[in-house]
Amino acid sequence: MPRAMEHQHPQAFFVRGPSAFARLLLFAALSIALMAADSRLHYLIEIRQGFVALLQPLQMIANLPTVLYGNVREQMVSRQTLLEDNRRLSLEALQQNAQLQRLRALQEENDHLRSLLGAAQSISQPAKLGEITHTGRDPFTHKVVVNLGSQQGIIAGQAVVDGAGVIGQVTRVYPFSSEVTLITDKDLAIPVQAERNSLRAIAFGHGRDNTIDLPYLPANVDIREGDVLVTSGIDGIYPMGLAVAKVTRIERTPDSPFAHIVCKPAAGIENHRQVLLIAASSAATPTGAVISSNTKPSEAARHATHKP
Amino acid sequence: MRPISLKLVYFTLLLAFICHLLPWAGFGLMLRPDFVLLVALYWMLRAPHLCNIGTAWLAGLAIDLASGGLFGQYALAYAFTAFVAVSYQRRLALFNIWQQAGYVFLLLLLTQLTLLVLKLFAGYEAPGWHYFLPSVSGVLLWQLAVFSRLSSNHPKHQS
Repeated sequence: MPRAMEHQHPQAFFVRGPSAFARLLLFAALSIALMAADSRLHYLIEIRQGFVALLQPLQMIANLPTVLYGNVREQMVSRQTLLEDNRRLSLEALQQNAQLQRLRALQEENDHLRSLLGAAQSISQPAKLGEITHTGRDPFTHKVVVNLGSQQGIIAGQAVVDGAGVIGQVTRVYPFSSEVTLITDKDLAIPVQAERNSLRAIAFGHGRDNTIDLPYLPANVDIREGDVLVTSGIDGIYPMGLAVAKVTRIERTPDSPFAHIVCKPAAGIENHRQVLLIAASSAATPTGAVISSNTKPSEAARHATHKP
Repeated sequence: MRPISLKLVYFTLLLAFICHLLPWAGFGLMLRPDFVLLVALYWMLRAPHLCNIGTAWLAGLAIDLASGGLFGQYALAYAFTAFVAVSYQRRLALFNIWQQAGYVFLLLLLTQLTLLVLKLFAGYEAPGWHYFLPSVSGVLLWQLAVFSRLSSNHPKHQS
């Protein structure tokens, strides 16, 4: 009997149940099966959503210290600062109202002209204001978690913007929160257009140093440092004309047919808390570019961009 | 030394998990020690009949859920580290504090290396050397807990 042999061995004195190696084999096989099911077969999305909803109370407990700190700091703001803020903000509001009136007039004129031309009316897309609860736990990826989820009508694939430009795209939706992949993530591609000459391109996140790349553009492409890239709107996900990035460096090496273009994101990716989640408008998606939650963001964008 | 109950093991693991869930960002995220693994390792080295490879695997699954990456990578890495930790657990009584710290450091590095291999397979880019900083901060936290006498007769409580 093999157990009797083991009992003579001092190592096995306290071992109960199967040996450590057998356990390792069992659990390693289980985890590899899980990884395969997750990455190749996409079976685990609903299960994961359920468990993440269970984690929500724990998450709230963990977020308590920062929330408390923020509250205390708000209480400590001096009257002087508040007054100054108030003055500055009302001034800003005044200026922006003036601009807004001009914008409204322009929009009406634009709509009128468009209807004269018979073109499709550009539809303002509804947006929801969300708040970033925490950044992603994985230092490898560039993700943030926003406090709106499927209960608030968020679906995967929505564009996320802040006051200055595009931040990223919703890639995973949980019941009360959703995961936003930032435009600096290696997996996110976004169709852009240079503001100066309407040159279309696809921008990819670099994955490190918070930059964006414009790959696959020929070395003689007409792009200069300082060019502003905006969304082109042909993917049906991002509305047209949102600022994405600014070209900061262009390297043209004789041995490469492509230019190496590095851009800096326009949005304050690291420093804002409030973001807008823009619903993909149905009018702008002719063949239903609503992305199922298991598509990777880059695939989704590529899919959308390569449509005729 | 009072007997260790299973409840205590799971309670400390839960606390460590909440530490993991704290809103770390930027430099803190880069330095964040692996609280859950440290607590699991502590119990595995001290009470392997209560906390074994299965417990570590479950803890890894919880981390996987929280991190939102490839499902099962932390579970596999934790199970592998737990296997190494448990197999050499009986030898640990002969070690002094510093040797134990070195051993824990090697275990933490092993976990990170396993994760790195898995992540590279999954198509991530190779990170810089700062990727291994959590192992350093983890072993510092371990030594801190040892020196603060938390572990001599009380269960260690890392936060």
